[in-house]
Amino acid sequence: MSTITISNLRKIYAGVPAVDGFSLEIPGGSVFGILGPNGAGKTTTFKCMLGLARADSGEVLYDGKALVPQMFEQIAYVPERSVLYEWMTVDEHVEMTRRAFSRFDAARAAELLAQFNIDKRKRARALSKGMRTAVMVALAFSRNAEILVLDEPTGGLDPVNQRHVLSLMINEAAKGNSVVFSSHQIGQVERAAEHIAVMDRGRLILQGLVDDLKADRKIVEGIFPDVNFTLDGIANDSRVARADRTERIVRLLVTAGADEIAARLSGAGAVGVRVLDLNLEDIFLYAVSPATATTDVVAKENSL
Amino acid sequence: MNYVEWLRVRNLLRIVAIVLAILVVLAVVLRVSVARYMSPESWIAHMASGTGTRETRTTLPDGTNRVILDDPADRTHIVIDDHGYAGKHIVVTEPTSRAHKENSNVNVGSIHVIESPHGDMTTTVIDTNGAVPMIYYMALADIVALLVATILAAPFAREIDGHLEVTLTKPCSRFRYAAGAIGADVAGIVAASVLTVVAFYLCQLLFESARLDFSGINARAIAMGVVCPLAWYALWCAATTWFNRSYGAVLGFAWPITIFIGILTLVPTANAVALFIHDVAWVLSRLNPLSYVSFAEPTSSGTLAYTGSNFGLRLSLELLLFVVYAALAIWKWQRVEA
Amino acid sequence: MPAVLTVDPRSGVPIYLQIIEQIKRSIALGVLQVGEQLPTVKQLAIDLTVNPNTVGRAYRELEREQVIETAPGRGSFVRANGATELPRVAAEIGRDALDVALREAKSVNLGREEVRELFETALTRWFPSFEK
Repeated sequence: MSTITISNLRKIYAGVPAVDGFSLEIPGGSVFGILGPNGAGKTTTFKCMLGLARADSGEVLYDGKALVPQMFEQIAYVPERSVLYEWMTVDEHVEMTRRAFSRFDAARAAELLAQFNIDKRKRARALSKGMRTAVMVALAFSRNAEILVLDEPTGGLDPVNQRHVLSLMINEAAKGNSVVFSSHQIGQVERAAEHIAVMDRGRLILQGLVDDLKADRKIVEGIFPDVNFTLDGIANDSRVARADRTERIVRLLVTAGADEIAARLSGAGAVGVRVLDLNLEDIFLYAVSPATATTDVVAKENSL
Repeated sequence: MNYVEWLRVRNLLRIVAIVLAILVVLAVVLRVSVARYMSPESWIAHMASGTGTRETRTTLPDGTNRVILDDPADRTHIVIDDHGYAGKHIVVTEPTSRAHKENSNVNVGSIHVIESPHGDMTTTVIDTNGAVPMIYYMALADIVALLVATILAAPFAREIDGHLEVTLTKPCSRFRYAAGAIGADVAGIVAASVLTVVAFYLCQLLFESARLDFSGINARAIAMGVVCPLAWYALWCAATTWFNRSYGAVLGFAWPITIFIGILTLVPTANAVALFIHDVAWVLSRLNPLSYVSFAEPTSSGTLAYTGSNFGLRLSLELLLFVVYAALAIWKWQRVEA
Repeated sequence: MPAVLTVDPRSGVPIYLQIIEQIKRSIALGVLQVGEQLPTVKQLAIDLTVNPNTVGRAYRELEREQVIETAPGRGSFVRANGATELPRVAAEIGRDALDVALREAKSVNLGREEVRELFETALTRWFPSFEK
């Protein structure tokens, strides 16, 4: 049940592709974060992964096999919005989960619900958004599932509970289970995820190991003494992902070899050349905001 | 896998049970308050008319209290056998001219009246504890069953309304889930029928020993009475699965639409337009499980007679409707997306 | 030990590098004694609320640099030849800090002599003559 392979997934809603040729391989036993702006197609991807929506083309395979209902014993899902039954109590939801899944640990569920401060006798309609998320999280993490798919699992939760969910995710990873999650909380993704993928407009923009992305991706910044300058083809280097220029300041986003490119920039006449670290939020923002220039910047060219 | 649906059924049956329990309690209250009107004395006072009436009371070997009222001047002879809890058996012999026309043969519940004229005298036999034809019980049970069926008839629409992420991520096939949900609802509808029969049986027991007649049309009434609400349920289950976004409105309009179409089939076919309306309505009403139910009428010989025909065919059609509508609902459910 | 260890996920420095640096630091300062056992990968991950594989990578790197050694089934320990390690680790930390300082100084076009002067001033301030 380990590896999830998404191949060329395409799903169109009302003529607009929500997922547009998305491919990703999610290795087993890892924590995989999926980042993307709102409407990037993350939720649609999850739905296609779980058979909740039928893809127009492409497929999702689990260890090379298509999804069958029996596999849901091993897959736990926390959707983005509350799917609890308003008229049922938390206890009844626990009972429902217990009857549906053979590896469900009711004692653990009770323990987690207590940690989240949920009164189990309350009906779902009496719970706040955060508490409903907490209930879904508690049920999912008591399933002893090999794969957990979490869509914004900390929505509506206060910081204490957010940290709690993070700990639960890390615990699962330590047990060797897979966690695939999407989140807007970049800090959480940085902590918990080993791999990330960035999605935008239904497509894969970027993927990799968080540690490697942070180690390799840097901004090389230089200031040219004169407004008229050329980059001598530095921007054409395959390791330069984008080049942004504001008047005399040039910032190159490099995917590797930052020091070497910094040296070349000095050689081209830039002063104050420095290499800046990028955290995941920076990496993400650069990935999803439009590129301004990737070709050689020529003197007298109109820049932004 | 269908725990949620079973919970829905249980919650609804609880309400039904409470309502029926209140009914039984009311019957108890009624029984206590009319106790004195049920005594033999009040009957006798009612039956005895003229001053020349001679009253004779005896006790039969089996404990029955017999009162004989004889009025030779009126040529009226009345024998009242009071079997206590087992009811009363009254034989009235009087001149035909005096026989009350409203005492024509009638079986109302447990009260059976049979009138047989011979010459210028008429003998009327009144049995207050006749066997109750089950058809009466089934009529009441069906009212409740149809109500319950209408309320339960949107199991898939309710899941589509924001719970598919839970329902479709269970380790069972969509077909199995659907069959289980329908099974739970069917069990609930049948249980509601049974509860109603039991409740009314209890009510009858308060007043007299209850004997039920299962023979003849009563057996057929039970069969049709069980299947018809299920077919009705399946029809609206399919309708709400297709029009799942407004399933509340669909269920709300279920009865009005059905009654409206039923009325349209009665339109007198005076002209071409009326004929067209009648025909369209008739075709639509073939989709309605209630169209295949026919009723019984009391006959002149005191029994209930069946006004319909082809019972076997109609029952089969009813079952077929149930299967077809359920299949339609399941087919749609298989294709639903979150 | 974990009390000394903190990571900042928002920093541009990968978490595993931060862990490596902080463990070396703990060793250099004697907070982690020679031969002392480190927390398990799983435990440290939970304590720091970071991915276990990140911790694992840090441990593997430390092992490769011969700062710690892992005995299968027993755990990870600060290497016994730590007596010679302390100065080496401390020296590495110092060298990395100076690299950063000098790169910054160079980036604002300071010359070699200016940097030396600034360095001497700072040295006097941080290491007054009465200290060793």
